[in-house]
Amino acid sequence: MKYGIKFCGGCNPRYERGSAFKSIIADLPDKVNFEIAREEVDYDGLLVVAGCSNCCPELKGYKVKRKPIKMWDEKHIDQVKVEILKEVDVT
Amino acid sequence: MALMNGAQYIESLRKLDIKVYMFGEKIENFVDHPMIRPSINCVAMTYDLAHEAEYEDLMTAKSSITGKKINRFAHLHQSTDDLRKKVKMQRLLGQKTASCFQRCVGMDAFNAVFSTTFEIDQKYGTKYHENFIKYLTFIQENDFIVDGAMTDPKGDRALSPSQQPDPDMFLRIVEKRADGIVVRGAKAHQTGSINSHEHLIMPTIAMTEADKAYAVSFAIPSDVDGLYMIYGRQSCDTRKMEEGADIDLGNKQFGGQEALVVFDDVFIPNDRIFMCEEWDFAGMLVERFAGYHRQSYGGCKVGVGDVLIGAAAVAADFNGADKASHVKDKLIEMTHLNETLYCCGIACSAEGSPTAAGNYQIDLLLANVCKQNVTRFPYEITRLAEDIAGGLMVTMPSEKDFNSDLKVGSMTIGETCNKYFKGNGKASVENRMRILRFIENMCLGSSAVGYRTESMHGAGSPQAQRIMIARQGNIAHKKELAKKIAGIKE
Repeated sequence: MKYGIKFCGGCNPRYERGSAFKSIIADLPDKVNFEIAREEVDYDGLLVVAGCSNCCPELKGYKVKRKPIKMWDEKHIDQVKVEILKEVDVT
Repeated sequence: MALMNGAQYIESLRKLDIKVYMFGEKIENFVDHPMIRPSINCVAMTYDLAHEAEYEDLMTAKSSITGKKINRFAHLHQSTDDLRKKVKMQRLLGQKTASCFQRCVGMDAFNAVFSTTFEIDQKYGTKYHENFIKYLTFIQENDFIVDGAMTDPKGDRALSPSQQPDPDMFLRIVEKRADGIVVRGAKAHQTGSINSHEHLIMPTIAMTEADKAYAVSFAIPSDVDGLYMIYGRQSCDTRKMEEGADIDLGNKQFGGQEALVVFDDVFIPNDRIFMCEEWDFAGMLVERFAGYHRQSYGGCKVGVGDVLIGAAAVAADFNGADKASHVKDKLIEMTHLNETLYCCGIACSAEGSPTAAGNYQIDLLLANVCKQNVTRFPYEITRLAEDIAGGLMVTMPSEKDFNSDLKVGSMTIGETCNKYFKGNGKASVENRMRILRFIENMCLGSSAVGYRTESMHGAGSPQAQRIMIARQGNIAHKKELAKKIAGIKE
C-alpha cells in the first residue's frame, strides 16, 4: 500500500511531529510504504500530521483513494495505527 | 530553476559584485565577514526549510503566474488562507533563527506593487503591471531574494520631498531618457539589502503633483553600477570580530542586517519601471506595503518571542527559580502578550479581501492594530525576560575569563568564575552562561535591533499606525450605536 505523508508547516506544534510519524511507521507492516506526498502521484492513503487542532495543510491537489487520516495530537498515534491497519486488512 | 537550498543561495551571493562599506572601508568578501555572515545564515534558513517535508506546507506555494512550486516569500497571496500561512511561516522562521530573517520586505513589496500597478494602468493606460508580472516571474523562476525598499532618509520631516533644501533626501528621477530613467537618492534602514539579489524600490509617502519626480517605483540588480551600501552598526556587533567568539555572542549562528542603500545616478531600463511620476498612486502603494508589513510583524516577532520565552524558562530552571510562583506567572504573562500579537496577525489575515488585481490584501485596521501592539509588547516581554534571568546576563565576565588558566591566589580566574557563577547545579556553568548571553543578545545585544527597536519603528513608527487607526476606526458608527441605545435622537 502506498501512503503519502503530509505535514503541516509546523508554526507552533504542540508535539514533535517527526517523532510521532516515526513511531507510527515503526509499528506498521512492511507492505505499508510511505513517501512525502506529491500532487502528481496516486496514493492508497494519505496521512496528515498536524501540530495543532487547526490541522491547516492544503490537501486538495492530492490524489488519494481514501479519505485522508488526520492527526493533530500525540494522543492520536495509536488510533492512526489502528486506522491504517484496518485499511491494510480490508485491502 | 528549482528552489535553491541555503548553500546554493550563499554561493549565489558570491557571484554578485555588491559594493559594501563598513567602518569606512570597502568590504571585499562580505559573504564570509564575521559581522555579516550570521544575517546571511538567517536568509539561508528561508531556503533550507522549503526543502523539509515538515515545513514545506508553509514555506512553499503554487505560483499564481506559472503554476510551479515556489518559495512562499515570492508568492502573490491568492486567498485569506495564503495570508494566514504567511504569518505562520514568519512565526516558524522567527522560532528557527531568533532573529530577523529579512525576506519579508520583498514579499510585501511584491503584493503591494502587483495590485497598485494594476490600478495605475487602469487609470493611465500604462504597462507597469505587465512589466511587474514579467519581473516577478523572473524572481520566482530564479528563487531570488528581493529587498523591498521604501524608507527615504526624509531630511526635515516638516517638509515634503520637493521642499527639502537638499533634493536628494527622497529618492527621485533626475533624468528621463527614451530607454529609461536615471535616479538619485538613498533608502535608509534597509533590512537584508546586502543579502538580496535585487532591490524593488517604492516611494515612502503620499505625494502631491509638486513631488511627482519622487513618485517612482522600479527594480534593479543589487550590484548595478552606481549602487552601494553602508552597513548599519548593531549593539555589541564587534563581539563577532573577537577571535574564537562563541558564548559571548549569545546567538553565534544567526542575526539581522540593515544598511543605507545609495543610488548615485543609477540607470533604470523602461521594462523595470513600475511607477514614473504617477504621484496620485504613491499613497496607495505606501499604504498597501505598510499594511502587509504590519501584518508580518504579527508573525516574525511572535516567533522570536517564542524563543525568548523559552530562554527565560531555561534560565529560571538553571537558577533554581522555576518553581517560584511569580516566575511561573511572568512566563504566563509573556505568553499572553506574545499570543496576543499572533492573534492580531491571524485576524488581519482572516479578514483579508481581494484587490482589483486579484491578489489578497489584509484588513488594514486590524493590521495597524497588530503593529501598534508590536511597538509595545516585545518591550514588556524583554523586561520580563530580564527580570527572570537576573542581572548576571549583563554583569557576567567574558568566556575567556571562564576558560582562563591565570592563577590568582589559590585558584585560576577560570576556577573562580566557575565557582561563583554556578547555579543550582542541574546545569553546567557553561550552559548557564550560554542561556544568559542568549537572552542578552535578544534583549539588548545585536538581535535586539530586530526584536526591540525594529518592533518600534519597522513598518512605520507608532504614530503612523495611530493615523491609520483613526482613519479606519469608524467612530461615526460607534457614536450612532451609543446614541441609539441611550435614546438620543439628534
